[in-house]
Amino acid sequence: MAVASITQGGHDSHGEIDQLYIETRELRLQGFLLFLVSDCVLFSSFIFAYLYLRNSGQGWPPAGINRLDVAFAAVNSVVLFGSGATMHYALENWKHGNFMKFAWMLIFTIVLGVGFLCGQGYEYTNLIFHDHVSWWGSGIFGASFFTLTGMHGFHVFVGVCYLTVLLLQSAGGVYTKDKYFGLTAGTLYWHFVDVIWVVLFSIFYLL
Amino acid sequence: MAIAAAPHGGGIADHIHPEPQSFVRRYVFSIDHKIIGIQYIITGFVFFVLAGLLAETIRIQLMHANGGFVSPQTYNEVYSIHGSTMVWLVVIPLLTGGFGNLVFPLQIGARDVAFPWLNMLSYWIFPIAGLMLFSSFLMGAPTAGWTEYPPISLEGQAGTSMWAAAIFLVGVSSTLTGINFVVTIMKMRAPGMTFTRMPLFCWGQFATAPLLMIATTALAAALAALFMERQFGVPFFDPTKGGSPVLWQHMFWFYSHPAVYIMILPAFGIVSEVLPTFSRKPIFGYKLIAFSSMAIALAGFMVWAHHMFTSGLAPYLQLPFMVITFVIAVPTGIKIFSWTATLWGGKIHYTTAMLFAMGFLVLFTLGGITGIFLAAIPFDLHLHGTYFVVAHFHYVLVGGSLMGIFSGMYYWFPKMSGRLLSEKLGKWHFWLFFIGFNGTFLPMHWLGLEGMPRWVSTYDPQFQFWNQFASISSFVMTAGILLFFANILYSIRFGKVAGANPWGARTLEWQIPSPPHYYNFKHIPTVYGLPYDFSQPLPYRGLEDELNDTPPPVAAGAH
Ligand SMILES: [Cu+2]
Repeated sequence: MAVASITQGGHDSHGEIDQLYIETRELRLQGFLLFLVSDCVLFSSFIFAYLYLRNSGQGWPPAGINRLDVAFAAVNSVVLFGSGATMHYALENWKHGNFMKFAWMLIFTIVLGVGFLCGQGYEYTNLIFHDHVSWWGSGIFGASFFTLTGMHGFHVFVGVCYLTVLLLQSAGGVYTKDKYFGLTAGTLYWHFVDVIWVVLFSIFYLL
Repeated sequence: MAIAAAPHGGGIADHIHPEPQSFVRRYVFSIDHKIIGIQYIITGFVFFVLAGLLAETIRIQLMHANGGFVSPQTYNEVYSIHGSTMVWLVVIPLLTGGFGNLVFPLQIGARDVAFPWLNMLSYWIFPIAGLMLFSSFLMGAPTAGWTEYPPISLEGQAGTSMWAAAIFLVGVSSTLTGINFVVTIMKMRAPGMTFTRMPLFCWGQFATAPLLMIATTALAAALAALFMERQFGVPFFDPTKGGSPVLWQHMFWFYSHPAVYIMILPAFGIVSEVLPTFSRKPIFGYKLIAFSSMAIALAGFMVWAHHMFTSGLAPYLQLPFMVITFVIAVPTGIKIFSWTATLWGGKIHYTTAMLFAMGFLVLFTLGGITGIFLAAIPFDLHLHGTYFVVAHFHYVLVGGSLMGIFSGMYYWFPKMSGRLLSEKLGKWHFWLFFIGFNGTFLPMHWLGLEGMPRWVSTYDPQFQFWNQFASISSFVMTAGILLFFANILYSIRFGKVAGANPWGARTLEWQIPSPPHYYNFKHIPTVYGLPYDFSQPLPYRGLEDELNDTPPPVAAGAH
């Protein structure tokens, strides 16, 4: 495998970007994907805990707690998935050199991300103050719901901050048309957060 | 795939950073994998001494059936921290962060790991987490053993939360190390270093790193849940609030069974280097050893509930866990046979490293066999919670992992320091340790069979003779360990100068000076074959300048 790539490696090195960058990018990409894998395991463990507790024979939702409001969460989900789409187009535009379009798409993504967080905040407020469901006082329902959606919300929050940094960096000329690993990583992370939400939405609202 | 292969591209393989000059950047906040490896080893052995003091406290307490040395409460704290320290602050960091960092980048012909800064971060999390763990003594240490089962851990003293936070942090460090190592082995092997030419130590690390990455994160979730439940009252494990203590056991063992492979696969790697070197024979069944490590790592995720046969799982759930556990013994057995066959007919050099590797073979096999016993549900129901279990896991963790660590220390100390450890002191260390170890833990087999329970500070007087025997033997073992530290302190100044390759070994790290330059290789070599063929010339090209005075070609990767 290694021998075969001697020729490949030499081939690329005469392009516009240097060999060191290509190799470093490949390392970072793999490292970042592995980070997402281990992050995924973190979510999976809590999801396992939730499903395990939910199926420990107490009936669901537990007595005294209403089913979650699917309609509102569905709208909020559409907001998040929409931001996934705009993020995708942002990166595509960067690759094609449409930097203005890129910037607008990235701004849309950030706005939609913030919108999702606001929606989640509204939902939390409703649950806590209207339905009197809390993180610690509502048995395993509150524990699993607030822990998992809170973890996810925290990931969205980190993502929004990260995307804002990327926006400023790209405006400041940190990335070029050929060297934009940060943008790739940001896109991957944002899609990851989307996928996690698909799972959480299914197991909390639909199941 | 290995991108280090570009011949004149100015890639990572040609990129030599300037050597840091200040003491702090060289030895404290170093990004050099060799220095970081040594930092891990030193820190790991410091925690080893602390854990050893705790172990001797246990043995002194158990000299008499009525105890009396420490209070029952203190006794519980002591064995809980002893176990936690040995697992998370000694064996795992020494084998992965320590020997892993020190050796495998050299063996695959790389200049460093993929993410040197991340590597530094991984290291520095580790002593901080260790201090946090020991600080739990100040606020009342955890008392439910290293497994910290709820509900006891929920009701445990304030330090239990500190314990959870500390282990969580060690886990973060392990996860980062795992990511770093996987990427390094995947992407940074020297040209020609295909997977089937990689030294077996690297295979050990390559099988371990994904476990570090994946299993440790699962533990992090369990610890976070325990922490939240203790600090904020968020119910996960408390049955009175709808939680389940068995959930903790699932989450904990989903990590902690793979963790036993984290603690043994790198040790397998060490003996797989030491045995062929000192038998002067190619390793028998190279591919079998390499692939069985991967098989063990994979199957290791499917057996966790064999620790829970007494937790009330449905019988139809227990049965597959028993069967898969038996199946895992097959790749392990294959390794034992391969190592024995490597010794067979070899020209054996009885160096201290070799003695420890051979001791490993014997003791690990014994521990493995009692492991098979315990995997059988009827047998486990009878012996769960007795000293038989204590005997079993000390045979695999001390007789296996720790003997592997000692073997590795005698083998690679010359590469780290440039000087050989004293063989004379080393042999004393080995025999005192080997005899003391067996004297301490062999009697625990029959103590357990006769029904002596674990986790209690006093016991029935009928067990007193063998407990005293074990305690006295443990002092012999400790004497051996003290000789080991004396040996290190003596040899680092007065030991024989080792030269590049004192053992006549054939892997890449022995073809460069001891200690190596900070850039490892002047020119990245090209690899043409397996390192274990003792009758053939070395399978490397491009190493001609490594042992002379020519400077490295610095300018190549400048940017
Ligand atoms: Cu196990």
